[in-house]
Parts: sequence; structure tokens; C-alpha cells
Amino acid sequence: MKAGPSQEEIRRHNLGTLLRHVHIGGSMSRAVLADRMGLNRSTILGLVSELTSAGLVREELPRDTGRAGRPSLVVRPESDQAYVLAFDVGVDRLTAARIGLGGVFLDRREARMRPDHREAGQVTEVLADFAHQMMDTTRQGTVCVGVAAAVRGMVRRPDGLVRAAPYIDWKDEEFGESLTRRLDLGLPVSVGNEASLGALAEHLRGAGTGCQDLVYLHGDIGIGGGVIAGGQLLGGDCGYGGEIGHMVVNPRAGRPCGCGGRGCLEAEAGERALLEAAQRDPSATGREAVRAVVEAADRGDISARAALHDVGDWLGIGVANLVNILNPRTVVFGGTLREVFLGSAAQIRSRVNSHALAASRENLRLRVGALGDNAVLIGAAELAFSTILAGPLEALARTST
Amino acid sequence: MTATPILRLRGIDKSFGPVQVLHDVSFDVHPGEVTALVGDNGAGKSTLVKCIGGIHPIDGGEYWFEDEEVQVHSPRDAAALGVEIVYQDLALCDNLDIVQNMFLGREKRRGLVLDDATMEEMAAKTLEGLSVRTVKSIRQQVSSLSGGQRQTVAIAKAVLWNSKVVILDEPTAALGVAQTAQVLELVRRLADNGLAVVLISHNMNDVFAVSDRIAALYLGRMAAQIRTSDVTHAQVVELITSGRSGDLGLATTNGATA
Ligand SMILES: Nc1ncnc2c1ncn2[C@@H]1O[C@H](COP(=O)(O)OP(=O)(O)OP(=O)(O)O)[C@@H](O)[C@H]1O
Ligand SMILES: [Mg+2]
Ligand SMILES: [Zn+2]
Repeated sequence: MKAGPSQEEIRRHNLGTLLRHVHIGGSMSRAVLADRMGLNRSTILGLVSELTSAGLVREELPRDTGRAGRPSLVVRPESDQAYVLAFDVGVDRLTAARIGLGGVFLDRREARMRPDHREAGQVTEVLADFAHQMMDTTRQGTVCVGVAAAVRGMVRRPDGLVRAAPYIDWKDEEFGESLTRRLDLGLPVSVGNEASLGALAEHLRGAGTGCQDLVYLHGDIGIGGGVIAGGQLLGGDCGYGGEIGHMVVNPRAGRPCGCGGRGCLEAEAGERALLEAAQRDPSATGREAVRAVVEAADRGDISARAALHDVGDWLGIGVANLVNILNPRTVVFGGTLREVFLGSAAQIRSRVNSHALAASRENLRLRVGALGDNAVLIGAAELAFSTILAGPLEALARTST
Repeated sequence: MTATPILRLRGIDKSFGPVQVLHDVSFDVHPGEVTALVGDNGAGKSTLVKCIGGIHPIDGGEYWFEDEEVQVHSPRDAAALGVEIVYQDLALCDNLDIVQNMFLGREKRRGLVLDDATMEEMAAKTLEGLSVRTVKSIRQQVSSLSGGQRQTVAIAKAVLWNSKVVILDEPTAALGVAQTAQVLELVRRLADNGLAVVLISHNMNDVFAVSDRIAALYLGRMAAQIRTSDVTHAQVVELITSGRSGDLGLATTNGATA
């Protein structure tokens, strides 16, 4: 029989939970923390002072003091002291950010990626360069507590092997491992799928805050997906779960898909399908191109309208399936699907209302992402923060060697 | 989704001279939700909203607010209840700045002088609370703002007064796609923060993107009030153009209600 958790394990758990509360929720008083964590005030006091001496939180007067009464101190994350590095490997763009505890962007770099510079080795070099630039500017005593990267591909759990990232021609790439070696920070680089991380970000800080069951659809060159079920990211057996873009909606008469299949949601409702249906250059993908179609439709352009109508129809069919299987509270449209959603919500909703089961859809909310183009980076940062949030003091001890 | 409406109208009639514009209209508005009010040009949407806002006196019917029957004879009465309206013919003064517009007619004073500091702070806080980051300075003249920013200021003005119900008459009609998206997100955020929001729009994508319920007016009668999760685009279009769709809507289109 397993014994209950030790004092030590409880303490570690409580420290992590407290840190997570102020990391996600922002500054709050000890009384609020005691209430949210269900602990008495003296326990909270002890936890706060431990985290304070570790340099992870600080107590101070709230900025915005109400007129009446004596303001009580709030516990605030030390955003300048502890930070993570987050990377986003896009299809034509590399982005990096240094993000402080509490989710504050402290620094940010971006570079366009030429099609002939997409090899994992070259990407690793650029990201390492960004990392060093951003770390050079930090003050003494600040500490990097995690690193994570997002890729548009299938990422194996737990080792982060990138099995396939078709849009940048990667196959079985040991990307996490080589970036870890190249950065040499004594921290393993976690790797995640871009839409899974987007889902995490919208769940923790965006349109799905407070919602434990959420589906995130990310429009990019393809359609990525991420599922939060019961507050947890759904990965499946090896981490490949959530590939909503390859949900088969039209296998018989459908369009060919980049995966080799036919009639996947991404093939029917992705940017290329939209642009082609709107009689535009299907290779000129990206936000501007998608927005131009929505604008043209708004001005009455017939082919743009028909294209959005069709794409909305397929998206609605896809969402209806997801609603029947997962019963999410919120479905979030991010990336360029934000524009597509706003331009075809009538079709999407109509399909959902026709095909999703009445009980499953009655509390369903369809929302656009609240984090805009930062969703993926923010999600990567949250992945990078997970170690210190699991055991703050242990994680710090490991980094300060 | 709350069960009890904050605002309930029952049997509202309204005529202008010999012309009856609203016939026996019922209308419910729920906190935490966006209710889309739709209908063809001339269906009576703006008139209904002006009755709610106390601009037009109603000829008959009941006006219930938070489970009490109330009498609303003026915009002041509506404001006292916590009902704010952003009218279709947007009432912002071009030659005044954002703060002056938000407090127009309801200025804060300290003794005899205007309390600019408090007004600035309240205006800034309201805009910040709505996550509005597009305006550069709150002392900017309204004439220098884009259409979307003007709508944003008008909406901020409506929520400044701890209002409970905010009614927006075609806030996106004159806007481009990007600005419409911003205003719709703002509309959604207001409801997610607990306000009851009424959105009048002719754009079915806007309606389906943000609403929780749809109320369709047809020739001055309320054809149906339904949950957005229970109808299709085609059904709503039918309700707008003919007052009925299958089991939904008016029993006959030339008189009695269902
Ligand atoms: N002050 C008024 N005096 C006389 N008739 C009026 C007045 N205001 C509105 N009406 C009439 O009432 C009817 C309903 O008008 P209302 O403005 O409420 O329609 P609406 O549904 O808002 O239309 P739209 O979509 O075009 O804004 C119209 O026939 C209009 O001409
Ligand atoms: Mg009108
Ligand atoms: Zn596919």
C-alpha cells in the first residue's frame, strides 16, 4: 500500500499551486490565495515567504487602491527575475520571446525564413542566436527557468521528436535535443505542436479562461487543432492527438490533402481551398490574403462570398463532429480562422445547429481567439513554465548550478 | 445562460400619428448574453429601442426591469435603471475630446468646477476594462478617430455608468471588416462580463458570430425569439422576410401572433 504524500510533497505541491495562481491570475492578496487554495492564512504566509526569498514573488501595495479602507498587500510574480524562452517555428517565420513569470513579454525577436533556410540545423542556429541576444540584455540575478518551442507538425511524446512537419519538410527531426545541446543552458527544450500550444494558451489566458473543455482550431497554411478535455491537453497515446485538420469530412469527392489523403478538413477549409474558391492565387497564403477575401465578400464580390460560404460549411461540419464527440464548452477560432469565422459564422453555426446533438450544443460557445498571433508563443511559454510551477524550489535549485 | 431576463417587455404598442409601428411586441433581454435584434428595414427595431430608452413614450404594454414593472418616460429614467443605448444616428460631438464626450451632460464636478482628473481616470479605466488599446490619447478630439474607434468610444460611454443593459443599434453598419471584428469582440466581452447586450444588425455573420439569442421583428411584430443554437441562417432569413419559418414565427402574417 502506498503511503499518503509526505509533508515535503505537500509543501512542494502548495508552493507550485500558489505560484501558478499568481502566474495566471496576476497579483492577489494572501486572503484571496487562502480562499482559492483552501488553506489557512498562516500556511499561505509561510508559502509566500518561501517564494519571496526564492525571488519568485514579491509583496507590495496594490497599484489600484480603492478609496475606502486600508489596502492590503498583494502577492505579485517577479516577472523580471524568472523567465522562459519561447520559440515558434512557423512556415515562413521564426519568432522568439523572453517571457517573464506572470506571462509578461520582456523581449521578442522575429525573422522571416527563406524557403531554402528551413533545415532543422539552420533553424536551430537562428533560434540560438535569438536566445543569446535576448539573454545578453538581462540583468544580473535573473534566471531562465524553461525553454520550449512550437512546430507545425507531429511531435512525439515525451522526447519531442518531430515526426513530420510537412510544410517545412522535416521528418524524424531530433529538434528538441539539438536545440537543447546548442543552447547549452542546462535546461531541456520542450517541443510541442503549434495548435496544441495555442489551445493551452487560449485555455489559460485567452478566450477559454475558466473553461475546462475547449477545442482550438488554428488557421495557418493548414488547419491545426488542439483539445483541452477536463482541463488537460489531450495528446493521445504518443502525443499526436488533436489533428483536427485531418479529420475526414469529404473522402469520396474531396480535395487532395498535404497528408496524402483526400477530403480532410484542412483540404476543404484551409487557406488554399478558400483562396482557390475565391479565384485567387492559392499559393499566396497568409493573413492578408484571407482578410482580402473576407473584405471582398463584404463588398459583395460573388466568388469571395461563395468561397466563404463553402469553407464555412465545411468548418461547421467539422465543428459539429467535434461537438458530438467532445462536448466542448468553447470552440476557439485562432490564427487566420479568426477572419474566416467572422466572415462565415452564419454557415458555421447553421451546420453546427443542424448536425450537433441538441444536448451537446446547448451551452456551446463559438469564440475567436483572444490572444491573436501571440497564442502559439504564449502556449510555448506556458509549456516552458510547467517545470517551475510543478516544484518551484527544486526547479530553481537545478537552474542555479 | 441565465433563466431570468433582466428586461422584459410585454404587449408593447407604438404608433406615430395614424401609423402603428409596433404591435403587441414582447421582448426579453438576459444578463450575460448578446441578444440580436433583427428585421428588415422599417421593421421597427430602432423604434423599439427608442421606446426602451425612454425617447418615445409607449402607447400600451408593460415594461419590466429586474422583476418590477417600471415606467420609463425619459432617457433619464432609462439611465437610472442602468439601460444605456448607442443609437444608430451616433451621438458623439466631433469638436469634443473622448473624455468630454463620455461625460457629456453628466459631467463630474468638484464644487463648481469640472473634476477633470476624476473624469479622465474613469474614462481611462473604462477603456482599459474593455481592453481598448487602439486610442492613443483620451484627450483626442473625436473628429480624429476612425469609425471603429468612434463606435468603441460610444460603447465605452454606455458602459461607464455601471449600466446593466447596453443596446447597440447597428454598431458595425458603417465599418470595414477589421473594425467590425474589433467591435464584435468588444460586444462579446461586455456580455461575458455579465452585461445584457442587445445588438441590432443586418449582417447575419455578425449575428451568428456573437449572439446567444435572436429576436426577429417582422412588420412591427415580434415573429420569434429563439436561441442562436437552435436555428439556421435560412430560418432566420425566413423569419425576417416573411415573419415565419416552419413552426417558428407568426401564425398568420396578417394579424394574430402565434
Ligand atoms: N419619429 C417617427 N415618426 C414617424 N414615423 C416613424 C418615426 N420613426 C420611425 N418611423 C417609422 O416607423 C417604422 C419603423 O422604423 P424603424 O426606424 O424603427 O425601423 P428599423 O427596423 O430600425 O429599420 P432600419 O433597419 O432601416 O434601421 C418605419 O416605417 C418608419 O418610417
Ligand atoms: Mg433602425
Ligand atoms: Zn490530411
